Amino acid sequence: MSLLRFDNVSKRYPGGHEALTEVGFEVDEGEMLFVTGHSGAGKSTLLRLIQLTERPSRGAVLFGERNLLKVRGGQMALHRRSVGVVYQDHRLLMDRSIAENVALPLILRGTRRAEIGKRVRAALDRMGLGAREKALPSQLSAGEQQRVGIARAIVAEPPLLIADEPTGNLDPTLAAEIMELFASLPARGTSVLVASHDLALIKRMRKRVLILDHGRLADDIRPEDLAE
Amino acid sequence: MSRKPAAAAGPAPAPSQLGVWWGHHLHSIAFSLGRALRKPWATLLTVLVMALALALPLGLSVALDNLSRLAGTVQQSKDIDVFLKPEIDVASARTLAEGLRKRGDVAGILVRTPDEGLAELRERGGLAGAIDALGENPLPSLLVITPKGDDALLATSVQGMPQVDLVRRDAQWRQRLDGWLRFGTRLVQVLALLLGLGALLVVGNTVRLDIQSRREEIGVLQLLGASDGFIRRPFLYLGAWYGLAAGAIALGLLVACGLALRGPLSALSASYGSHFVLSGLDFGRAGLVLLGTTLLGWLGAGLVTEHFLRQTRPTET
Repeated sequence: MSLLRFDNVSKRYPGGHEALTEVGFEVDEGEMLFVTGHSGAGKSTLLRLIQLTERPSRGAVLFGERNLLKVRGGQMALHRRSVGVVYQDHRLLMDRSIAENVALPLILRGTRRAEIGKRVRAALDRMGLGAREKALPSQLSAGEQQRVGIARAIVAEPPLLIADEPTGNLDPTLAAEIMELFASLPARGTSVLVASHDLALIKRMRKRVLILDHGRLADDIRPEDLAE
Repeated sequence: MSRKPAAAAGPAPAPSQLGVWWGHHLHSIAFSLGRALRKPWATLLTVLVMALALALPLGLSVALDNLSRLAGTVQQSKDIDVFLKPEIDVASARTLAEGLRKRGDVAGILVRTPDEGLAELRERGGLAGAIDALGENPLPSLLVITPKGDDALLATSVQGMPQVDLVRRDAQWRQRLDGWLRFGTRLVQVLALLLGLGALLVVGNTVRLDIQSRREEIGVLQLLGASDGFIRRPFLYLGAWYGLAAGAIALGLLVACGLALRGPLSALSASYGSHFVLSGLDFGRAGLVLLGTTLLGWLGAGLVTEHFLRQTRPTET
């Protein structure tokens, strides 16, 4: 069943640059896939359209039964809570502890305090950061900060997780571990869409790959095609 | 597996909307108070500037209230005092009063005999010794007329009567005082408006600076799905805290000024034989002032935050 659908989506920025041109694809529930392409191919724009920080110029982005073009006001915030996002630059709140950072999506959902504590500890344990929950982000390495960002993205178990170059700052071993973690999420009901230009890593994961080229969807490679 | 995209977090029982709303408010109240207290000097400066801006119109308002109260005593002397000629005895004075009472422009009339006048003078003026020295009562009969309608016309008419020696009417002075009081009230209103606007801008600017310093954090919260209300609320509470604290300090300043002036003013009024005492704001009005300043802070913060949120919304291109 389709969780996310791009229907001939184009995005033109003010000034005339067309970042995406008639892109169409679907993501199923519980599916993990990569989107790759050279720098400026439109990967980040695609993620921004899903997260509703940008709106398409043409076409439609459907999330479940929700047409994101029609989402306004408070619905926009509700939609964003349905999408966990991992950023390359982490985007952590530097004056709050890592536990407080991870708790944010749960606070926004109005989860009860006791439940928040339990879930935050579980997410941090999963990231190997259970012992450092009181630390500030500035006291962590870049890799650890990235893991905090991932814990924050998955703590509320959203239906979709998107990650923009999540392994850009990590050493290969840690990058592989993070990818394995992402690969385990579909089994828990979370679809995963990772934007990356690390072809070696993408190849190793043997998942579906969307290839963007100058804003157009150049190829949609399935795992079975990769095997060949 | 079939799962609809939803905002609910996993298998935990979803709290009620009211519970979420209340939880977010508690979070905002605590967070905004903590934020204000973490920067005590900056907070104190903001609050003091606001307090001074609010104290001026409040002080003027209290001063006007006292003046109005003082003038109220004068207002009671709206009556026309008609002094009869010395040769008019009490019986004739009463007959004249009966005649005047029948006029349409007279609401009431009181006859004060020379003996009553003398007794009053002894009591109030402390002139007993001097009066005794005179031997006989020099006071004439007095008619105190309470007018109904045009008191000027009534006074002129009474002045023309042959039994009347002198007519005393304080209308002109009273009208002037009324005029000054009306002007003072308007002045207080204009000052309250201008300085209230100033206080609004002080809060707005402080909150704007706070928003600027937290721009990145707000951006992250928005990306995580914070609603406009969630973003706005801590700033609204921050503005409200500023307003409440400024109102309390302004009231404190008024009380301090009142205490400083009360003694000398009482002594001054006692020297004129008056028991006038300076009064401040009662609890009800003080409560209203606090409510008003809190709302003012809330409004200033709300305007700035709304402007910021409008700027950060995605637009179609």
